[in-house]
Amino acid sequence: MAPSPQTIGEFSVLPISIPPVPSFPRNVVHYLYVRRNAPKIPTANDSRSLFLANVPVDSTELHLRALFASLVGAGRFESASFEDERKEAEAIAAALDAAPAQAVRLLAAHGKKRKREDQEAAERAEEEAAARLPSTWTRPLRKSGSTAVVLLADEKSVHQVLKAIAKVHKSKKYPTWGGEGNVVAERVPQLGSIWLKAHNQLSYPDRDQLQAAVDAFSTMFARREREAAEIAKRLRNEPDEDGFVTVTRGGRSAPATRNEAEEAKKKMIEKAEKKKQEMTDFYRFQMRERKKAEQEELVKRFEEDRQKLDAMRQKRGKFVPEA
Amino acid sequence: MEPGSAKRRKIGHSRGGESAVGNIDAAASSGLSRGRAFILEAEELVDEVKLDYATALEGVDSLLHKIKGSIEAIEAHDALQIAEAATKLEKKHKIPIPFPEPRPSDKSNYKVAFAKPSQFNVVGSYVSKTMIKAQKSHAVDMVVVIPGETLQEKDYLDLRYFYKRAYFLGVVAAALQKDLADDGELSYEYLNGNTLSPILSLKPKVEGEKKEGQLDYRVRIIPCAPDNFFPKSKLHLGATLVRKAGGDESKAATKPTPFYNSTIVSESCFFPYLKLLRQTEKKCAAFKKACILGRVWLQQRGLGSDMADGGFGHFEWAVLLALLLQSGDSTKGHAPLSTSLSATQLFKAMVQFLSVTNLSEKPCVLGTATVESETTGPVLFDAVRGLNVAFKMSNWSAAKLHQHAKWTRSLLNDSTADQFTPTFILKADLPWQNYDLIAHLNYDGKQDKTEPIDCRGRLWEYSDKVHRVLKRALQDEELGERARSIHIQLPKSSSWDLTKKPSTKQNHTIEIGVLFNAANMTRSVDRGPAAGPSNEEKEECAKFQRFWGEKSELRRFEGDSIRETLIWSSTSPFDLCEEIMRYILKLHLRVGYLEDELTFHGDGFTELIPIKPTDTSVFNAARKAFSSFEKDIRDLDDMPLHVRQIAPICPELRHASVKVPFSTVNKSGPRPLECVISFEASGKWPESIVAIQRTKIAFLRMIGDLLERSKPGEVRSYVGLESSTTTNTELENLAYLDIVYESGPAFRLRIHSDLEEALLTRQSHDKTIDQHHRHQASVLLSNFRRLYYHLPLHTQSINTFATRFPAFSPTVRLLKHWFSSHKLASHFTPDFIELVALQTFLSPYPWDAPSSPSVGLLRALLFVSRWDWRSEPLIVDTNSDMPSSERSAIATRLEAWRKIDPLMNHTVLFVATAQESSGVAYTTVNGIAQPSKVVAARMTALAKTACHVIREEGVELDARRLFVPSTKEYDVLLHLSPKAIKAVSKVYPSEELTSITAAKSSSGSKYKNLSATAGEDPLPLPSAPVDTFFERLEQVYGSGSSAPLVFFRGREEEKVVGAIWNPSLGRRGLKVNLGTSYKPVKAAGKRKLGGDEKDGEEKEEKEEEQLVEVNREAILSEIARIGGELVERIEVQRE
Repeated sequence: MAPSPQTIGEFSVLPISIPPVPSFPRNVVHYLYVRRNAPKIPTANDSRSLFLANVPVDSTELHLRALFASLVGAGRFESASFEDERKEAEAIAAALDAAPAQAVRLLAAHGKKRKREDQEAAERAEEEAAARLPSTWTRPLRKSGSTAVVLLADEKSVHQVLKAIAKVHKSKKYPTWGGEGNVVAERVPQLGSIWLKAHNQLSYPDRDQLQAAVDAFSTMFARREREAAEIAKRLRNEPDEDGFVTVTRGGRSAPATRNEAEEAKKKMIEKAEKKKQEMTDFYRFQMRERKKAEQEELVKRFEEDRQKLDAMRQKRGKFVPEA
Repeated sequence: MEPGSAKRRKIGHSRGGESAVGNIDAAASSGLSRGRAFILEAEELVDEVKLDYATALEGVDSLLHKIKGSIEAIEAHDALQIAEAATKLEKKHKIPIPFPEPRPSDKSNYKVAFAKPSQFNVVGSYVSKTMIKAQKSHAVDMVVVIPGETLQEKDYLDLRYFYKRAYFLGVVAAALQKDLADDGELSYEYLNGNTLSPILSLKPKVEGEKKEGQLDYRVRIIPCAPDNFFPKSKLHLGATLVRKAGGDESKAATKPTPFYNSTIVSESCFFPYLKLLRQTEKKCAAFKKACILGRVWLQQRGLGSDMADGGFGHFEWAVLLALLLQSGDSTKGHAPLSTSLSATQLFKAMVQFLSVTNLSEKPCVLGTATVESETTGPVLFDAVRGLNVAFKMSNWSAAKLHQHAKWTRSLLNDSTADQFTPTFILKADLPWQNYDLIAHLNYDGKQDKTEPIDCRGRLWEYSDKVHRVLKRALQDEELGERARSIHIQLPKSSSWDLTKKPSTKQNHTIEIGVLFNAANMTRSVDRGPAAGPSNEEKEECAKFQRFWGEKSELRRFEGDSIRETLIWSSTSPFDLCEEIMRYILKLHLRVGYLEDELTFHGDGFTELIPIKPTDTSVFNAARKAFSSFEKDIRDLDDMPLHVRQIAPICPELRHASVKVPFSTVNKSGPRPLECVISFEASGKWPESIVAIQRTKIAFLRMIGDLLERSKPGEVRSYVGLESSTTTNTELENLAYLDIVYESGPAFRLRIHSDLEEALLTRQSHDKTIDQHHRHQASVLLSNFRRLYYHLPLHTQSINTFATRFPAFSPTVRLLKHWFSSHKLASHFTPDFIELVALQTFLSPYPWDAPSSPSVGLLRALLFVSRWDWRSEPLIVDTNSDMPSSERSAIATRLEAWRKIDPLMNHTVLFVATAQESSGVAYTTVNGIAQPSKVVAARMTALAKTACHVIREEGVELDARRLFVPSTKEYDVLLHLSPKAIKAVSKVYPSEELTSITAAKSSSGSKYKNLSATAGEDPLPLPSAPVDTFFERLEQVYGSGSSAPLVFFRGREEEKVVGAIWNPSLGRRGLKVNLGTSYKPVKAAGKRKLGGDEKDGEEKEEKEEEQLVEVNREAILSEIARIGGELVERIEVQRE
């Protein structure tokens, strides 16, 4: 294999040697692309974290820990967060948040932030965790080519890691996936048939556990809905900075559900259509015009047929009887 | 009609086929408005198939002149004894005279002479210029009139004319061989397979290279009698003209010889017909074109003038059309057809005429004449020329013609279907697309001791008898017609060398094709006539017994009726037909004693799955189990909402799964049958999709609890979690309820909430949320609609069709089997395959709906191979009332899609039904086209290959050959381990998870499981382990056009899975989230820089030059790690 480049753009290339597997007995090299973490919205830990692209699909935190241990020795690795995990968590939070969507939108429109946000955050996370359904897999898989952020002990470790990667290229001694002798494999849940079998079982979670999650969710949902209603109510009476009062749903009369509104709209359209129909062919000129239009349509269709035929002629073959 | 003569009938000119003629006008006049496209296409076809005579038949005129000169130069000689003359000629020229059988005896007194022919002429389609390019063989017919002075009027008797004719031909042959040896190859052949009329054929030699467009043609030299030489009154169909046949005068003299008589008449009719056709051509401008259309139509159906082809070809078509166009001389003066009609109108009128006139059932007379109605065989009598134009036809070919005309008529009446292609383009005579059963009957002429009566040959008479017996056995209307058609294919006569005698082969194979009437063929008890005291009834019974022999027995039926009965032991339609045919042919023709005398073909397909006749009842049992499950749910007392509907959505509950339901081969957990449940509209659903999904879980749990409580000990229920398919797990359906009955059946229930749909619709239209979420909502919405609307409706309609067409369910199963054998199944939704099969039933043109699975499968493959899905939508008209406006709307929609997405990344196959006209519901799953363009192209290619094989192999087709997958094309093969799959397939509820997740002692825990689960039933499976595995892989690597690897797999028990690297993922620059594993490659331009001095110079160029490509090995290694023991071996076929 040709020597691989050390860097591509701002990424350092970290080749990892992957030990052969019985069903695919080859020595394979996987390439990890590493750079300093610089997210669009900076956080406190950016300076001591690394951004990895193209993590293997079977990565776990233990795998990465072993990998970094082999690069810069044990004790430097703190934690890893994977892209899909992050996304999933965000999506769930967003979905749960979006639940009483109306309220959220109102708040956003109003430019107000909820009070005590920070205090609540932890509480909310806990709530959401309780409401989450049990996973059906003993071990998650990463999407191919996805990313992860690794948090190291300190800034110095980041520098050391990058240096160690450069050294790897020189020495041609690539770190092994899963540690020397694949020690990690012993400590993480196995993939393969056992993993699938576990999935079959985990797909049918314990009823009570399931019920608890659902209950936790409903309590949370009910509370947030209530909160939302309150906010809406408050907003109804409260002028904003410019002195305007937002018009919100649910006045004095009972709030109309959207379904009813939609149905009413449908009915209206139907009515209009019916009226329109009654008025056609009422005058003679209407009839004449309609007939004229029909004739034109016929001519047009004839032309279309001609064109289609021409297209078919282009293709040839169409007009030769099969032998 | 003549009073008092029951046997003789007189049919007026215009009443030739009264209903036919009546409808002709309608058919003709409707032509313009309806089938515009058809007219245009037919015109185009005529232009396309027309021959350019100047180049195609170059030099034919000079050749004809040469022949004429050569024949004219033959020296005349006086009458000689026939035997003497023959030996003389044979000795001199080494050319035997092609006498018809029985040959004249050496002692016979007939005298033959030779004189210069009185007339030469060129006749047939060369003159009328109606030859087409695609003809099987091209011939220029030259008739040579035997001079009247060498014949006698009495020669019409006892083959005398034919002996003289044969001698004449022998002399001509001798002369031509001498003069024209350099111009071409001479051989004898029979005119249209008629052994009475041998002719000479001259195949010109091609000098040098063949020119573009030049044809292989031959000149046929046909001797004939002068016009009106023989008295017509003596040659009517009922006359007995061969009296001395075989020397045994007393016996043979009694039967009429219609075929012989007609041949004699036809011998002197060449010129009258030539005149008739020329006149009609002049009168009717469109006549020629109509003849060309007719020729194409007949040829595509395997009909031709040759006796083996049915005896109805272009000539007969032209004559019939000409007769219909002629204003009668003696009638009220107007012709059935107007000469001002266009070619397509004439064609339609002809089809209409043929579809209402069954020539073999009722003689059809054109003009004024009387016809013996006693004559067996088809009659199409031209009164003016006194010829039965259909004399070369047989009863079965008349039936075939009639049937094809009927089918074509129904096609031409169906304004929504493509009329042109099935009518003219498709080859409609392939055995397996036509017949459900094909039998080969070996005929041994040496064993046949019967005396031929007419001159069609023993083989023909034998076949006719076979046909009559089979028709009575299988098409008896009293018993209920078992077969829609029975066809017999006789071997074709071929040409033979001048120096040889015509082949006297005694052994022939007759091919019998049977087209089932699917509703009646499954009947295993035939109820014959009632045994009653009256004479009539007794006679009926005696007749029945005579025909059926000892098989017929008396039985008592409900209502105290006692009937003659036949009991058959087979169960499947094919076996029943075989049993009956074997029995009845043995009884009446003494065949079938030897194994190889009668062989049957056509059941190879049903053995593949296998399809058993009891399968229908198993499917029905599943339906029944479902009904009782539905009842159990409806009977639940404490349901908070009223159940509106429980609808099945799985193939098992619509007669469409490859394996019958409840067939648990391995000991895995039960496979639940999927259903959806919907409730009355309710305002209690929370107004949030996420909340709705959670509420559903609680709801499912409650249903499960209620069921278990209402049926203690009979039912177990499990709430299962959906393994998510899209990314946002919270918005889509989260859970299902599995209900397992102790008695066996298991069901899976999902809840339909109408509010969910409303919310999703709103979200997908909501402009205030971002594009990504909107798209996601619309994907979820289409998934929702598919699950809760389309699939229930589809299941319902497929069930209806399975009852309406008995062959439909097995056809679907075979087609699915075909898809999965070629490892395509995972790329297609089952509903799509069902719709493809359904299309061959609902729009079966140019045939009728298939009546057996094999025919159904082959026609479905034919459809797939011909379907140009790039530009044509598949429209399955499930309600058979789709207006054409809707059809064109669908077509427009497809066009629009193709314009938006010309590369077909999102929409590939476009399938619309009456319930679902958007066109993408059956071929899109999770917003991704199923199948992708590559897979769809592979489907078409495979179907094309299959059709090619079907065509090449003909009757000898081995069904298994169509199902053999090829693994050569795949880049990678994954060999799965059946043992590991089996191990995964069994999960017990009490199994401790910790024991299996503890990786170290898997063997130890195995035993622990066994002890823990003794007596427990395994859990149902969320899905088959292999499916789960590949779903998971698809999730990891993506699917559709962005996936690096496309997997091809068939059924779940298939051990080899193929995979192809996506060719569109080439080298590219590195960025985050490329979606698959990439490795760096050196850009081509940088090679010259040595590896060592990289650091210094690379910096400037790096940005654009450093590329990455798919790291294939790493991906395979990942798959191997994920699969673990499941993947036995990964075989890389191509690097």
